[in-house]
Amino acid sequence: MGFWNRGRTEDLGGGWPQRKVEARENGAGKLWDMWRKSLKKALKFPEYITENVSEELIRLEDLVKVYDTGALKVLGLKRINLTIHRGEFVAIMGQSGSGKSTLMNILGCLDRPSMGHYYLDGVDVAAMNPDELSLIRNRKIGFVFQSFNLISRTSALKNVELPMTYAKRNKRFREQRARVLLERVGLGKRAEHMPNELSGGQRQRVAIARALANEPPLLLADEPTGNLDTAASVEIMELFSQLHKEGTTVVVVTHEEEIAAFTERIIRFRDGEIVSDKPNVPREPEPCGGEGFGASEEGEAIGDTDSDRQKALGDRLC
Amino acid sequence: MLIENMRMAFSAIRANKMRSFLTMLGIIIGIGSVISIVSIGDTMRSMFEELYRKIGITQAYIAIGYWVDEWRESDYFSLDEMERIKEIFGDEIAYIDSDASTSGDAVCARTTVRFSYTGVDYNYQEVQPVNMVYGRFLNQGDVLGRRKNVVMDTVSAMNLFGVENAVGESFRATIYGSVDDYTVVGVYRKDLNPFQAMMLGANTEGGEAFVPYTLLTWPNDRFYDIRIFARDEATMDVFFDNLKSYVARSKGRQPEDFRLVTAKAQMGEMDSIMGGLATAVGSIAAISLLVGGIGIMNIMLVSVTERTREIGIRKSLGARTKDIMVQFLTESAILSACGGLLGVLLGGGIVMMGGRMLGVQAIVKPGVVLLAVGFSAMVGIFFGMYPASKAAKKDPIEALRYE
Ligand SMILES: Nc1ncnc2c1ncn2[C@@H]1O[C@H](COP(=O)(O)OP(=O)(O)OP(=O)(O)O)[C@@H](O)[C@H]1O
Ligand SMILES: [Mg+2]
Repeated sequence: MGFWNRGRTEDLGGGWPQRKVEARENGAGKLWDMWRKSLKKALKFPEYITENVSEELIRLEDLVKVYDTGALKVLGLKRINLTIHRGEFVAIMGQSGSGKSTLMNILGCLDRPSMGHYYLDGVDVAAMNPDELSLIRNRKIGFVFQSFNLISRTSALKNVELPMTYAKRNKRFREQRARVLLERVGLGKRAEHMPNELSGGQRQRVAIARALANEPPLLLADEPTGNLDTAASVEIMELFSQLHKEGTTVVVVTHEEEIAAFTERIIRFRDGEIVSDKPNVPREPEPCGGEGFGASEEGEAIGDTDSDRQKALGDRLC
Repeated sequence: MLIENMRMAFSAIRANKMRSFLTMLGIIIGIGSVISIVSIGDTMRSMFEELYRKIGITQAYIAIGYWVDEWRESDYFSLDEMERIKEIFGDEIAYIDSDASTSGDAVCARTTVRFSYTGVDYNYQEVQPVNMVYGRFLNQGDVLGRRKNVVMDTVSAMNLFGVENAVGESFRATIYGSVDDYTVVGVYRKDLNPFQAMMLGANTEGGEAFVPYTLLTWPNDRFYDIRIFARDEATMDVFFDNLKSYVARSKGRQPEDFRLVTAKAQMGEMDSIMGGLATAVGSIAAISLLVGGIGIMNIMLVSVTERTREIGIRKSLGARTKDIMVQFLTESAILSACGGLLGVLLGGGIVMMGGRMLGVQAIVKPGVVLLAVGFSAMVGIFFGMYPASKAAKKDPIEALRYE
């Protein structure tokens, strides 16, 4: 696997700085190329990693998740059927305990469904072993958590490098790309800082940079703005919008309508079931009134009902 | 990846300095004691080697075995027999004498000093370094002419004459009951380190002198043993065997009736004593390494539990079972190897300091140091196996949920 990657290091990814490999004319060079190609073939990743086979990035079929806590069984998800296409920008909403995180964990291959199928790029991941799932998470999924989940006592740069380390990228490539990513989320000057030297918003941006490290097609965020103030939340969501425009599929769990408003599709959950699934026109084109953001459909579900915050968010958006 | 793991391991160790140090203690003590024992052994060995080299590694004594029941007159040696041995073995013999020595009072003016005399041949210097500082060594004329000339060391000269350069001085000595005047023809300096002085018996009060062996052993004398230096260290074993057979045959005995004591064999005995000591202390060290290893296992288990969330994060980012395993194994190996390194410093330091105090050059071999550090890393890997596999098997979502 490591060898295969070594053959791949000249490609820093679409939009990223490219290192050109000069064509070799002489015989030795040709031999070298042939050797490289055969090695590439021999040590290739499984197809479910390398081939972007499916236009339907995510398809859930009768997906059930049962939490077995000994005495009683909790039904986390009840027969979910859902398709998310490549390039969509989806918000998942719902009351506390409605199963949003349960779904996200399954989508992120952190957890397995109890029943049913989860096709990621046309491959059923429910049947995979832990190491195969690790590979999938490493290559196909970027996960952003509510609590940031940066590794402490490890610089922002090293945190961002981590997924590339597990992808066996070489050090030069890792560092170069991590710097580019941090630059991109506006933290170019904070690369050497430790997580505890960063604000919540900055930490979350580091986490996003980290999620993007291996250019995953799918970005999952479970309440990414849950611990952030309005300004920071907006920054994060704007970043997601931009990523979405560049072609990444983004799925965001949120309690806040204002956050969901950034997306193009809103799926609502209740008691482990999808209760509504509607397209949404992203907020940018339509200007809005302050009260439009004040009331949330599931008001009691919002942990932070600070009206100042709502107003600030409204002001910022309009 | 390995470098990355090592970097992480060091930062984890640094984050818990005190805890890491206490964990290492068992390894430090274990490795420290191993290093000191091995180094003490090496030092002793080299000291004895030097000592025997000083005595002469090719040196041997041959005599009738103490286990032989009835000794005959012919079991003793005569000068004629010695001459015959010289003729027969010729070049293989570097030096031969009758191993004669005696002691008696030496008087010069009003000073009386107890002297011990060793009878040697004129070519004694060829097999034993005698560092002459004044005058000359005994010569062929002294030996053949049985002249009453002596060579003594500087300390003896000082004791008897009050000066180091006693060449030309004479004194009255009692040897085998007869009192005669003897003349000093040369003075040499003994250079012994404190250990050699202890082992060879340094004299500070009395006196020592070399005299022609012909003064102590007379043509009709019978003496108990012959002292021989072989010419060649490589072939000396065969030579000594042949010598023993010849002597036994010439005296109508079996070879096993004669006793041949060689410096080399004595050195081998020394080695085996040291070896026994090393195994005894080695097993103690092994126990302390075992305890140290268990300490490491314990702290790694704590560390794995503490860092459950970190493990969850790493797994969520794509770390495989193997990656986590290697990370924690690296950490325990480095923890243990650091302990080993500190142990080496401790043990080596103690030995060096002890050596300096005793005035001996202590030997700490680099190979032993490498082996010790490598071995402690192995201990770390062995005892880190269980905690690391525990960490690696954690379910990502469970680990992420861990508070
Ligand atoms: N590890 C678990 N063991 C048992 N039950 C669980 C576990 N995780 C979640 N559940 C249950 O599954 C249901 C859905 O939980 P989930 O975390 O998906 O909710 P959520 O929609 O993310 O809520 P919130 O908005 O508060 O984060 C809840 O009833 C919860 O109690
Ligand atoms: Mg949740």
